[in-house]
Amino acid sequence: MSDPTTAPLPDDPTAPIPAPGSGRTEAPAPGAEQPEAEPGADAAQPEAAPAEPAAEEEPEPFSDGPPPLPEPMLVLDGALPPAAAAAPEVDHGTCTSCGGGFDEEGWCTQCGERRPDPRHHVTSAPSASVAGVCDRGRRHRDNEDAMALWADDGQPGRAVLVVCDGVSSAPRSAEASLAAAEAALEQLRGSGDPEQRHDRAARAAADAVAAVAGESHRDAPSCTYVSAVVEDDRASVASIGDSRAYWLPDDGEPQRLTSDDSMAEEQVRAGIPRAEAEAGPLAHTITRWLGPDSPDHRPGTTVHDVAAPGWLLLASDGLWNYASDPADLAAVVRSVGSRVGHSPAPLAQGLVDWANEQGGADNITVALARCGDARQDGTHG
Amino acid sequence: MAEFTSTVHQNEFLPDGGTDVHAIVSVTCSGAGEVVAWGGSGGTGGAGYPGGSGGDAGEVIIVDVSGSMDVQGVQAAAYAASAALDEIVDGVWFAIVAGNHEAALCYPTGTSAAMARMSAQTRLEAKRSLQRLAPGGGTAMGRWLLAAGQLFATVPSLSKRHAILLTDGANQHETPQELSWALDQVRGRFQVDCRGLGAAWQVAEVRRIAETLLGSVDLIRTWDGLSEDFAALMASSMGKGVSDAQLRVWAPQGAEVLFVKQVSPTLEDLSGRRVEVNALTGGYDTGAWGDETRDYHVAVRLAPKAVGQEQLASRVQLVVGGEVRTQGLVKAAWSSDDVLTAQISPEVAHYTGQTELASAIQEGLRAKAMGDDVTATSRLGRAVQLARETGDDGATSRLSRVVDIDDAATGRVRLRRHVDKLDEMELDTASTKTTRVRPS
Repeated sequence: MSDPTTAPLPDDPTAPIPAPGSGRTEAPAPGAEQPEAEPGADAAQPEAAPAEPAAEEEPEPFSDGPPPLPEPMLVLDGALPPAAAAAPEVDHGTCTSCGGGFDEEGWCTQCGERRPDPRHHVTSAPSASVAGVCDRGRRHRDNEDAMALWADDGQPGRAVLVVCDGVSSAPRSAEASLAAAEAALEQLRGSGDPEQRHDRAARAAADAVAAVAGESHRDAPSCTYVSAVVEDDRASVASIGDSRAYWLPDDGEPQRLTSDDSMAEEQVRAGIPRAEAEAGPLAHTITRWLGPDSPDHRPGTTVHDVAAPGWLLLASDGLWNYASDPADLAAVVRSVGSRVGHSPAPLAQGLVDWANEQGGADNITVALARCGDARQDGTHG
Repeated sequence: MAEFTSTVHQNEFLPDGGTDVHAIVSVTCSGAGEVVAWGGSGGTGGAGYPGGSGGDAGEVIIVDVSGSMDVQGVQAAAYAASAALDEIVDGVWFAIVAGNHEAALCYPTGTSAAMARMSAQTRLEAKRSLQRLAPGGGTAMGRWLLAAGQLFATVPSLSKRHAILLTDGANQHETPQELSWALDQVRGRFQVDCRGLGAAWQVAEVRRIAETLLGSVDLIRTWDGLSEDFAALMASSMGKGVSDAQLRVWAPQGAEVLFVKQVSPTLEDLSGRRVEVNALTGGYDTGAWGDETRDYHVAVRLAPKAVGQEQLASRVQLVVGGEVRTQGLVKAAWSSDDVLTAQISPEVAHYTGQTELASAIQEGLRAKAMGDDVTATSRLGRAVQLARETGDDGATSRLSRVVDIDDAATGRVRLRRHVDKLDEMELDTASTKTTRVRPS
């Protein structure tokens, strides 16, 4: 392609900058070219030179006896592994809205819908007399409430209920609240003095929250805590924060068994009417909680007589926000019960539905234990 | 192997009834590798990309030799082309086109369209052949581009095709329609970085070429800077080891992609480049990647959902050779909490401002050229205001050479009586170069 007469370029002052290496085609002056060309042309040379005297100093062959017999070499049979199968399409579930498939992160590949989180709605009914429902509500993206219930139809008259409400301003609070509830339940199911069990349970719950928090003490996850241990005619109740326990007898005066650790409660103690305090801007600012940055983990505990037929109810503020006064809440329970019946599971669900109808502004948890009935059937009416 | 990562900046919270989701998706490439010399690419004996999709690289240098370039200009261009040749790695296919109202093959010398492989020998021959360049004739850039396309087509093994185009004048010997037709012919066949020398070329015209062919456009004030710029352009192209890359944007059924823009390092509306990948996904060619970060602004309109609901608004992926290398998820969540929904992502706000800044500059200069001083003053005033708000000091300084700034905060300016044409052109060409978000 190129003009052969100009190919080996003579030095020409008007030519554009010659490329490096342009002198290579010129005949090398013998001797003079040698030291320049060698280092680049043969990089192995410098290493080879010192190797020669070293070779002479090598030990004589067989000076240490005969060499070891060579290991017989492995004969390759040429068997090939099966061709790597194409990564199978993982089924991440089917979208109920459009029938498309979810991707691995839980988003529908067709309509973009998020795969429902099982945590968004949890029902538990360990026995015929104990049940609970934990629901995301209408306004929150995640459910940071958690509950843990224990009861055994073989041991009527005994039950353990725990409800925790994760503080949504801190990350991983959903994880923390569930870990706390489950850790507390484990302690409360044991035997011994209920008050000591409550202390152990609150400590275990706090430890569980700290474990979720890990190293991060800034923005550490945290949650509230309310628990009840029912043993025959007595219920012992413990709480930290503003999740509550109520005793709602079929006949007689309904009562709140816990006192909130909240700004609202402090205002009430200072003389501000309850309704006004609970509607105030700081009503939901809690003063005690479970978490690595909390001041202490000792719960306030009370023991209450639950011999009369009635409901022991534990709830997060997602429910009691809409019926704080015990009499109001008892009225709601009666009204819902008249519609859905008086089994704990449908009643808990009915109360959650009722709170959602009121706006569902927060996560809603309702845990119920039926007390004081003939223990054999465990149901009422 | 090149590695891609992505980050999504957005406020996913929409108010009740809200439909439009905006996000800045930052895509970073690292380990793109470089063009590797002869034999380094494993068997082919050519130049390839360890980090990319393999195959050979091709470079075409297009030099304007129209009469206006004059002897001095052509000499400077030849000198610059020579500097670019020094940057081309051995083994890369290359050719030099001399352009006026026609396109002539300066190198390789011969009787048919061909490219040569770079070696010490061919580099030297190419430099010698540059001495054949002489000024004369007009300007028809469409023909130059068609010629480059013809040359690239002679080497089927090329996986990366890149050209540098130097011009000093307006495209006088072609109608805009002819240029458009030529651009349509070569679209997608290669990338072109364009450089305009002096004050006689048309920014809008050359920008159209660069935008269509996924390249940059810049002003070179005088011959002095040409050589360095060409060498830098070529070196940068040699560093872009990932070719055949595509941005993909998925939006859910029933949603509408409002736009897809590259917003950093330069502003380019990609919306018109969309090719359908499937019913829900559009593909946008990005050209070759080196080790760099590019930011994309994606806007999607969704059918609103109830408060408390959420959904995926878009998947934004970078695909190389058909393989997804990184993915960013753009989300939407409807909320009744005004504190959440009222926030605007700082990145979205910044690039929205930079986009408006670019169009204010371009519209202002266009109005000024047409003698519409009222519009020019108002648009350039708005530009001054936006440059201040987005902290774009470079733009403020370039604007201050075209307008007298009375009050940057309110955008009160006066058009300067005597403006250096080059300052105006620099303001125009630099309008699409964006600044990144300053860490707050």
